[in-house]
Amino acid sequence: MADRQQQKTIKTTATPFALGIFLCSLALPGIVVAAKGNRIEKTFEVAPNPRVTVSNARGQILIRGWDKQQVHIVYSVISPRVEVDSDVIPPSGPADKVHFSTHILDPLVSGKDQTADYSLDVPMGTDLEIRDTLGSVKIDKLQGDDATVETVGGAIVVSDFTGHLFVRSIGGNIDVIRAAGRVEAYSITGDLHFVSPTTSKLRATTTSGRIVFEGDFPDGGDYSLSEYSGDMDIICPPSASFELNAKTDRGKLENEMPITIRHQPATPLSSANSLFGTHLSGKATVNLKSFSGAIRIRQR
Amino acid sequence: MDETRRYRTAECDRFELELDAYMDGEIRPSVPAHLRECVFCKVVFEDLTALRSAARELPLEEPSPVVWANIRAQLSREGAFAEKAGVWSWFWQLDFLRRPVPVAAFACMLALGCWLTAPQNNPQPKTTASLPTSAGEPTVVRSMAFLAGGEGLEKAIRELEKAFKAREATLAPDVKATYENSLSSLDASIRECNDSLQREPGNSLAHEYLFAAYSQKAEVLSSALEIDQGR
Repeated sequence: MADRQQQKTIKTTATPFALGIFLCSLALPGIVVAAKGNRIEKTFEVAPNPRVTVSNARGQILIRGWDKQQVHIVYSVISPRVEVDSDVIPPSGPADKVHFSTHILDPLVSGKDQTADYSLDVPMGTDLEIRDTLGSVKIDKLQGDDATVETVGGAIVVSDFTGHLFVRSIGGNIDVIRAAGRVEAYSITGDLHFVSPTTSKLRATTTSGRIVFEGDFPDGGDYSLSEYSGDMDIICPPSASFELNAKTDRGKLENEMPITIRHQPATPLSSANSLFGTHLSGKATVNLKSFSGAIRIRQR
Repeated sequence: MDETRRYRTAECDRFELELDAYMDGEIRPSVPAHLRECVFCKVVFEDLTALRSAARELPLEEPSPVVWANIRAQLSREGAFAEKAGVWSWFWQLDFLRRPVPVAAFACMLALGCWLTAPQNNPQPKTTASLPTSAGEPTVVRSMAFLAGGEGLEKAIRELEKAFKAREATLAPDVKATYENSLSSLDASIRECNDSLQREPGNSLAHEYLFAAYSQKAEVLSSALEIDQGR
């Protein structure tokens, strides 16, 4: 009887307490948290044109644009000794800046156990700054002012992005598909691949990786592609209108497009192979440089 | 004597809001009034006053150039600087300014760039393009020694390489491998460009690539030094 009374007392006390905790968690402005195992989901209300930054050591980061004025993140970690922190500025009300970072709490955690995978949905107009040391980064369907993506060894894939895109990887491959705006892509040993860009300005450099460019050159565009020892393949439609400045010091220069030669140096200062000319009316400018890699310009 | 309160009240909240301004010298009558009646806030005030006095006694230390470069890079990313118009606008777009390259290395690379892009009319003195190095030795930059400012650049890259060697052991194996591959690739391009310039001092493409390779090498080394492995 006494036990029953005690249980009833506990229930009577605990129930409103638990309910209070539950209601308080719902009342936290702009943040809804759901947890399932080691998979966490959060949503943040954000102001127009927020800035979202992510700093990760290992794991995939996937970012998509959507039409809500919220940043929605789902992240998962393998090890309980890996934590993902989020900082919001300002701390209350719609955020101007949201920062996510992965922290390895135990120095003994190494290799794949350090993995934290992120999936973010961000509003259009978001500025992004993403750093993922060994993980891959993918950005899809986003209009932003500014996106910076840096990895050490992870691949970077950006598709249907509009804005100023700056991507750099020490050793990872970079794929940029249907980008509009301005693009800068740099790698040392990674390959660079551009598909159907409609950018006004494109700068791309790799030292020993390969460059492949597939697409047209929009009128007024300025494209500079440079590699040191890797090969460069330019595949463009017969309707592409561009002024070409191509040179390589020791590599081959092969061209299938009918180019009207602008000039050739009478006495080359070096043994460089070069081609300066115009295809059709030369509405875009294309600068191709290589030191010892081949440059191949083909018609699609 | 008035009874001092020992529990936090709304007046304590107001005191906190006005304390900063009061300590900066602004007139806030409620602050000294509250201090007379609240032991808790009086203790906070005395601690802050003591901290402030102690801080004034600390010696001024100049942060390293890396700190300033980091701050500048972050401000630049946030658009704090107006775009430089005119002929120098391209200069501020140079990518290595985003990284905390030591100021000395930056100045030396600028000197190198001026030399590399200047017309080469006179044959260059013969120097060894690259000296054989023992395993684990920093990359040789001796071929740059005859350049004006080249010795400074050599020293700057050596410093970065030493710092990288010291940091290497802390890097995860796959991260370390990525950096080593990229440095190896850049060193190969530096050697080839130097060989080219030995044969053809007027080779403008080799000049361009040599400068770019040094610049990228400094960036890669800086990246390795500042990498955050999440710890």
